[in-house]
Amino acid sequence: MFITDLSAISPQLTYNENFLLGDKKSYESTVFNAIEPDYTELIPRNLLRRMGKAVRIGIGTGTPLINKNSELDGIIIGTANGGLEDCIRFLNQIIEYNEGTLTPTNFVQSTPNAIAGQLALIGKNRGYNITYTNGGTSFENAILDGILLFNEGNNKKLLIGGIEEISEYNYNIDSLSNKFKKETIKDSKLLESNTPGTICGEGAALFVVENESNNYYAQIKDVAQITYPSIEDLRECLTEMLERNNLKSTDIDSIMLGYNGDINHNHWYEYIENKIFKKSNSFTFKNLIGDYRTCSAFATWLSSHIINGEKKILKHISRRINNKNTPKNILIYNHFDTVRHGFILLSK
Amino acid sequence: MGKTREEIKVELKKHIVEYLNLLDIKPEEIEDDQPLFGPDLGLDSIDSVELIVLLDREYGLKINNPTEGRAILVDVNTIVDYILENK
Amino acid sequence: MKVVVTGIGIVSAIGNNVAANETQLKLQKSGIDKAKNFKSRYTNSLNFGEVRLSDSELKKILHITKKGYCRTALLATMAFKEAINHSKLTKSEIESYRTGFISSSTVGGMCNTDELYADANMKGEPSEFIKTYGGGEHTLQLIKDFNIKGFTSTINTACSSSANAIMLGCRLIKAGRLDRVIVGGSDSLSKFSVNGFNSLMILSKEPCKPFDENRDGLTLGEGSGYLVLERSDIAKNKKPLAEVIGYGNSNDAFHPSATSNEAFGPTLAMQRAIESTGIKKLNIDYINAHGTGTPNNDITELFAFNKIFSKIPPYNSTKSYTGHTLAAAGAIESIFSILSMKNNELYPSLNCLNPITKFNNPPIKKKTNITIDTVMSNSFGFGGNCTSIIFSKIK
Repeated sequence: MFITDLSAISPQLTYNENFLLGDKKSYESTVFNAIEPDYTELIPRNLLRRMGKAVRIGIGTGTPLINKNSELDGIIIGTANGGLEDCIRFLNQIIEYNEGTLTPTNFVQSTPNAIAGQLALIGKNRGYNITYTNGGTSFENAILDGILLFNEGNNKKLLIGGIEEISEYNYNIDSLSNKFKKETIKDSKLLESNTPGTICGEGAALFVVENESNNYYAQIKDVAQITYPSIEDLRECLTEMLERNNLKSTDIDSIMLGYNGDINHNHWYEYIENKIFKKSNSFTFKNLIGDYRTCSAFATWLSSHIINGEKKILKHISRRINNKNTPKNILIYNHFDTVRHGFILLSK
Repeated sequence: MGKTREEIKVELKKHIVEYLNLLDIKPEEIEDDQPLFGPDLGLDSIDSVELIVLLDREYGLKINNPTEGRAILVDVNTIVDYILENK
Repeated sequence: MKVVVTGIGIVSAIGNNVAANETQLKLQKSGIDKAKNFKSRYTNSLNFGEVRLSDSELKKILHITKKGYCRTALLATMAFKEAINHSKLTKSEIESYRTGFISSSTVGGMCNTDELYADANMKGEPSEFIKTYGGGEHTLQLIKDFNIKGFTSTINTACSSSANAIMLGCRLIKAGRLDRVIVGGSDSLSKFSVNGFNSLMILSKEPCKPFDENRDGLTLGEGSGYLVLERSDIAKNKKPLAEVIGYGNSNDAFHPSATSNEAFGPTLAMQRAIESTGIKKLNIDYINAHGTGTPNNDITELFAFNKIFSKIPPYNSTKSYTGHTLAAAGAIESIFSILSMKNNELYPSLNCLNPITKFNNPPIKKKTNITIDTVMSNSFGFGGNCTSIIFSKIK
């Protein structure tokens, strides 16, 4: 699967070239909010007027890709929660108006498949269309579906992506279950904070993927996932994926790890970094964007640019550099809240 | 004393813009006889339900189904007529 | 390689297991009525397809004592257990890396609307459901309870969700990624869904009347359905119920909550499903229609039938028995299609007194016995998501 085009809206200036040119935003906050572009030229205002943030950043990221890439065969989106802001707004209406006459827009926009649905609408795309809501491996699900579609042979070009929004409400809910740090923290200090909890982030990263190409950013070679694993289960899952691709751990020159500053999450990443891929370069990404359930889509966006030779971003994300050449392959490993774990294997 | 037809009209247009979150459209730009569901405003079936919610919340008027709504929600004039008749 | 159905499980308004559902279909008795468990402003004014078990009764039957199980998860556990028992899966088969699990839900843990309101607005101490609101959380509870280690997924394509779970499951087996996979979905009645559909003014005051000229909306139901799909060669010693021979998915690309007059999405989903079987001149003996009972769905679905078939096969909407079970509908109705095929029986579509006049093609009127070798189940959802699945008898 070849990534031939890509776009991201994130807490960094990823929507234009500024981030890749070295312009990094710094945060000292309890949330890292996405930097949104001006959508007026991009999204028909009749659609824009109804959109909550998840839908807006998803459509804002996807529309230029749709416009530039005709003949998309289908759209596959991973989003754990979709438009939660709209969802809870509708819920608040239910309670506050005692189930009286309620405005339907929040309800319609809150369903997670509204993003893939409206991308189809904008692109008049009647191809395969699906939305995965599988928590921390929603984007991994989307990649696997794409790989299957290409192998089945009926599809040549797909739009896939991962999207999540921060709303006050999901922030509250995840805070109540102790997912986030209580204190504000500088992004540069996040990964070494040694306290429980992480920082809440958000964003959309979408990709045009093709089954054949000579001109591409990176290849997605494979994906694997496991839920509630033991360390042994995780190693078995990884080994199986490497074997499937005829690779040894020493063939992986770089790894991109989901370190998120939560002291209770680190040991999983440390195991992969120090026990399995001792010699590989290691990179991080959550110091740029915070943590959310489909952030591996951003990690894929970032890794694709690194494989494609972008250098100026490396200083912000390098953790261990053993080899200064442009990475030939990057293995992304991420888990959300230690429950759902995913691997994404990218190569030149 | 109730509001005059003119006052209701001005107020209704504000509500329409607010409820439907019409971007770049000022209330005074909506003509009294401009078809709401024509090509200019580009409203659709979800908007018709939003307008029914508007009439309920702002004027206490209950329309029970979209079919009944269709005859009332033609343009600003027809909605004002309905408000004045039922208020 | 063939993918066969070796186990099924259902809980719906017409019964708490497959046998009870089958009996009600044969008796042509709807489960739509006033709700007993579901508490809402609309409890007394609307009809629902409610599962006749309270949360505490479900927990008792399932021996669940842990906290944090919402109704969606409880219904899912009921149907899931029946399906794996029916297929006689061993513990080691369920826990194998080669066994997957694909679930689906639209409301998920948000069925606890009041608790979610309090937690999201930080009113008081966190509730027992604080970690279970997400659409994929019921999947996690089943993964944990049954120690599932293989590929897992949760899909939300609104009302076509579990049809897509079936489709993905088949594709994973055919691709060699899995040997077997449990697929389906679960949705419970909730203030969230009821008020959502009510705000769109598409709930009928009466039990839904699919394909009737005077239909005026859908009736919400709840339930869960799961199917065990296996590669035919590993199911050699079982008596599979059916083979999944085709599936098709399309987006209507027209409107967030309505189907296009031309029925682009439904037509393409059915056409792709038919093409995917690879069978020339495929004969479909029965269609379990999406048939929600809304003015928009039923006319567009009939329009699509008319475009595809020179002679429209017998069809019904079993939503006239169960109400619209949202994400679970695709799985529940696939199971009903399989039961029809097993029994060679067509069950009537209920409440259709004056069939849509524009097409002279009423749904099934009375229980009929005919040979049924091939069936198609349709599921179309908000966001334009349309999916059709085709099953055949084991040959």
